[in-house]
Amino acid sequence: MDGGSLFDILGPVMIGPSSSHTAGAVRLSMLAKNVAGQPIKAVVFKLYNSFAKTYQGHGTDRGLVAGLLGLNVDDDRVPEAFERARQQGLVFSFEPQPNQPSYPPNTVLFDMTLEDGEQLQVLGHSLGGGKVYISRINEYKVSLQGEYPTLVMFYHDEPGMIWQTTRIIAEAGINIASLVCARKHKGEEAFMAICLDHLLDPESVQAIAQIGNVYAVRNVDKIV
Amino acid sequence: MSNEIDKTFFKQLKSFAQALDWCEANHQPLSALAMAYEMHRRGVDEAAILAQTQTLIDQMRATVRAGSADASPTLSGLTGQLASKMMAAASAPCRLMSPTMLKMMAYALATLEENSRMHRIVACPTAGASGVVPGVLLALSESPDVALSDAQMQRGLLTAGLVGELVSRRMFLSGAAGGCQAEVGVATGMAAAAIVEVLGGTPRQVMDATAMAFKNLMGLVCDPVAGLVEVPCTKRNAVGVVHASAAATMALAGIESFVPLDEVVDAMVKVGQMMSPKLKESAEGGLAMTPTGQAFTQQLKAKGNVHSPESE
Repeated sequence: MDGGSLFDILGPVMIGPSSSHTAGAVRLSMLAKNVAGQPIKAVVFKLYNSFAKTYQGHGTDRGLVAGLLGLNVDDDRVPEAFERARQQGLVFSFEPQPNQPSYPPNTVLFDMTLEDGEQLQVLGHSLGGGKVYISRINEYKVSLQGEYPTLVMFYHDEPGMIWQTTRIIAEAGINIASLVCARKHKGEEAFMAICLDHLLDPESVQAIAQIGNVYAVRNVDKIV
Repeated sequence: MSNEIDKTFFKQLKSFAQALDWCEANHQPLSALAMAYEMHRRGVDEAAILAQTQTLIDQMRATVRAGSADASPTLSGLTGQLASKMMAAASAPCRLMSPTMLKMMAYALATLEENSRMHRIVACPTAGASGVVPGVLLALSESPDVALSDAQMQRGLLTAGLVGELVSRRMFLSGAAGGCQAEVGVATGMAAAAIVEVLGGTPRQVMDATAMAFKNLMGLVCDPVAGLVEVPCTKRNAVGVVHASAAATMALAGIESFVPLDEVVDAMVKVGQMMSPKLKESAEGGLAMTPTGQAFTQQLKAKGNVHSPESE
């Protein structure tokens, strides 16, 4: 494991009662909301392992809803998240799932219906102390921690994809912090995650989506 | 050391032995290493880090003030009056413990009760273990004999942070991943380190105190009644400050840990892996499965939702 900031250990300042189950839930939802990139109409939270067992007692339920509403971990309104969601018309429900030993202890699958009708599934995990990551977007494996604004794209593996993409990012004047590529097999479906120093503008995202053989692009802002 | 050598050192810093070598070679306390590490890690200056640390101290103090003055029940009704009872005890003569020790316990209880009210706290390293480090530091700041300044508390907190950080490289700090030894256990080691640092112990004594604190809570399970961060978490934090103080006192008396700190942490990691999932924040073992724990769980289920009976 890489060395983190001491303030990952000291802090966060947060609404109780659990850093992994409450603050972690809020942060996961903030990240899922950023993956969605548009208003969410309805969500089913499918809960796994420890999340499934203790989600009510630990305020995981309130935290998950709060994050989708844009409330942060130290917001006094986290305890009233259900009431606020109803006022704002967000439809939500919780479905505890059978144990899934292949998933980390605190796992949730966000099954979301977005404003434009798109169905979006995001699989997220809370690691403790408020640290979180997302490991799957729909059928694609990813690794997103919300530390940087990240452009996530899925495309058909062929020469020149990195060049075509990074050229657009360079033209937008944005610095790339890191870039990860992976593919299932040569010439098949591939995945790219580009961590950026600033969030990419919508026009550039649109231009990247229009590169031939790009299946899907997500412009995911960091969480603070 | 030059900046380049420092960079390599901080990148490779993994063990407590390396941290101790750095402190001894540079004649610096662990808090100085913590500060240097954080400056390199984030590329920010000392003032920014101290300001951030002070923000946490201010919030810890606000949480303890609110919690010690509030005797209202928590959302579940399981606790809410523990801190006020302990505060009353702390203001009367005690034949067993010092007033400072009683205050440490009261402040740990106050923090956890605020946590269970879904009020604002500082996770340290987690919410379920958020009472131990503030408990020892804030009580020491108010002790007439020690009277820690905020600047000294900042140093204590940075030391605690570095201890937690080095442990977190090897194990996730959550009850679900490692049992309570990864939460109250780690917090207690962090607090023991902070105490030795602020009372003027050597870096070696900081390591020994941390090792002795970890050794004593190794294997501690996470068994919350009804899945709430409350029973036994609240009182475990209060006993945690006593563990931390005992370990720190032994280290300051010159008592060493037979097993070095790095090996103790490795052992904790292995114990956490061996622990049954039923004892890791799933409320399926330990106190959660006692007749009293189960009866309370049933009562809670009958009410529907613990936080808001009328919703859902």
